[in-house]
Amino acid sequence: MLDIKNLHVKLEDEGREILKGLTLSVKPGEVHAIMGPNGSGKSTLSYVLAGREGYEVTDGTATLKGEDLLALEPNERAAKGLFLAFQYPIEIPGVATMQFLKVALNAQRKARGEKELSVPEFMRLVKDKAQQLNVTQEMLKRPVNVGFSGGEKKRAEILQMAVLEPKLCILDETDSGLDIDALRVVAEGVNALRAPDRAMVVITHYQRLLDYIVPDVVHVMANGRIVRTGGKELARELEAKGYAEYVEAAE
Amino acid sequence: MTSAAATAVLTPAEMAIGTPLPTRRQEDWKWTDLRRRIETPYARGAGVADPSRVARLIAADPLAKLPLRRVVFVNGVLDRSHSDLTGLALKDGAPALAEAEWLAAMNTTLEAQPVTFTVSGTADRPLHLMFLTLADAPAAAGARVHIDVAEGASLQFIESHRGIGAYLANPALTIQLGKGARMDRAKLELEGAEATHLAVAELTLAADAVLRDFTLTSGAALNRQNGRITFAGEGADARVTGAYLLGGAQHADTRLVVDHQVPRCLSREVFKCVMDGDARGVFQGKVIVAPDAQKTDGKQSSHALLLSERAEFDAKPELEIYADDVVCGHGATSGDLDHDHMFYLMSRGIPQAEAKAMLIAAFVGEVFDGVDHEGLRDVLTAFAQNWLTAHKS
Repeated sequence: MLDIKNLHVKLEDEGREILKGLTLSVKPGEVHAIMGPNGSGKSTLSYVLAGREGYEVTDGTATLKGEDLLALEPNERAAKGLFLAFQYPIEIPGVATMQFLKVALNAQRKARGEKELSVPEFMRLVKDKAQQLNVTQEMLKRPVNVGFSGGEKKRAEILQMAVLEPKLCILDETDSGLDIDALRVVAEGVNALRAPDRAMVVITHYQRLLDYIVPDVVHVMANGRIVRTGGKELARELEAKGYAEYVEAAE
Repeated sequence: MTSAAATAVLTPAEMAIGTPLPTRRQEDWKWTDLRRRIETPYARGAGVADPSRVARLIAADPLAKLPLRRVVFVNGVLDRSHSDLTGLALKDGAPALAEAEWLAAMNTTLEAQPVTFTVSGTADRPLHLMFLTLADAPAAAGARVHIDVAEGASLQFIESHRGIGAYLANPALTIQLGKGARMDRAKLELEGAEATHLAVAELTLAADAVLRDFTLTSGAALNRQNGRITFAGEGADARVTGAYLLGGAQHADTRLVVDHQVPRCLSREVFKCVMDGDARGVFQGKVIVAPDAQKTDGKQSSHALLLSERAEFDAKPELEIYADDVVCGHGATSGDLDHDHMFYLMSRGIPQAEAKAMLIAAFVGEVFDGVDHEGLRDVLTAFAQNWLTAHKS
């Protein structure tokens, strides 16, 4: 599904290298967790995969189902099945949530040569999924993420994911800012989307989220690389010991 | 007119129009050099247009499908055959313009044929004044309309300005709102690409009158709009909003004066201006508070969205306050499209052009929301969403 080989990335403006030869392979149906200390490059990885500007790839490759991700525009990557759940979802005043979701879904369908959904079809689809995620009609009437609490923003991200049905979901610190109840709702939403033909990369600083979204593989990232890979028990070990030894070793 | 201008040698264009034009030395005209920009010797009056061309232009109006009472002016003159005048209180003549200014003088030399509408009670349908200019050769046409909204009456009023050819349109509008009267006014400046639009609008509010005023500025190569809102009775309330959607080498300059002559009135001005290509937008907003006009609440803001590095926006907010117990303020912002917004929309699969169009529509949407007429609001929203592709093609 996702294959990253020896990826080197630097910040365009200051030239500092953030990813220093990262290699990662995720198969369909798998859930991978990427854990690591602040500043290890976790968020950079998610932004580079989604196509945010401001980064320069100096070496390496990243492919989604064999296709070169790095050559595509962000919207083309989305249409190919990539979805990034933002750590800090963006507020967009003046753009209604429902209109945004409908334009996004139909743009993706159009790019894939699928039939666009009619308004009633779309409304039904969203209504069902919104209910499962405890996203109210009132929230859907507001502009994108505007006036949402931290928890509402994260639920809205997962709702978008559920509506867009991506092949590869990247969840960037989805647990940040959530209390335990909100975390449970979000995790249930994510677990409901686990499927044999869908892969997930869960980026997190804490082990807590992984109690609810149980990964198949856990990676430790430090100083711009994956420095250790293990099973789900690795997350517990990190929780107990911290990242100190990896940070030292990576430097 | 200043004596300097009166004694200056008129350019061929000025001689043709019959009046001198301001130079950049005049403070209000700092950003718009009319004397240099108007080089064409426009013929005075555009004559009689072919009725079938007029009919085609009417049918293509973006508001054609809305249930409005349509009154058509062609080349500045009321076109009775294309207008629905039944039951409308209409007479020839109009009071003199309050401000003796360049554009008012031009309206006189262009011999605009003045008409006055009187509205009492609540109008059965919104009134749509459709100003059309059809010029085969470069021509200048003035229009002069006065609307008198009687005490307690209310009117939804839409004016649209469109045309074909290289023309100069000089509409002058005066509106008198009686005690407790209400007007929802919307102006759509959608003149032809080669046009020059030089407009005057003077609105006077009696006590407790309510004005909701919106102007879309998106047509014409050169646009200058002189607006003046005068509070003549206490307790009146005016919200004046505007949106610019300008591309190519378009130039639009609004000079709006809000004159609080009496106490306890409220004024709000919000302008959202989008400039692409080499376009230039100017907003000069002046709030005057007379010594007696205590408890005035007057605020103005202008916000610019610049879509290209060559686009430009100039804001000149002015407060002239002679009373001490007032709340007044102004603000201006300017920026390009928010990169985080663009990335977020695109990361969900929305192509760049569509994402841009959504953000442009959202930016100007704030002032569309204040437009009372739902059908008109939908037309405006669609216009803003399609504008980016339309003006580049």
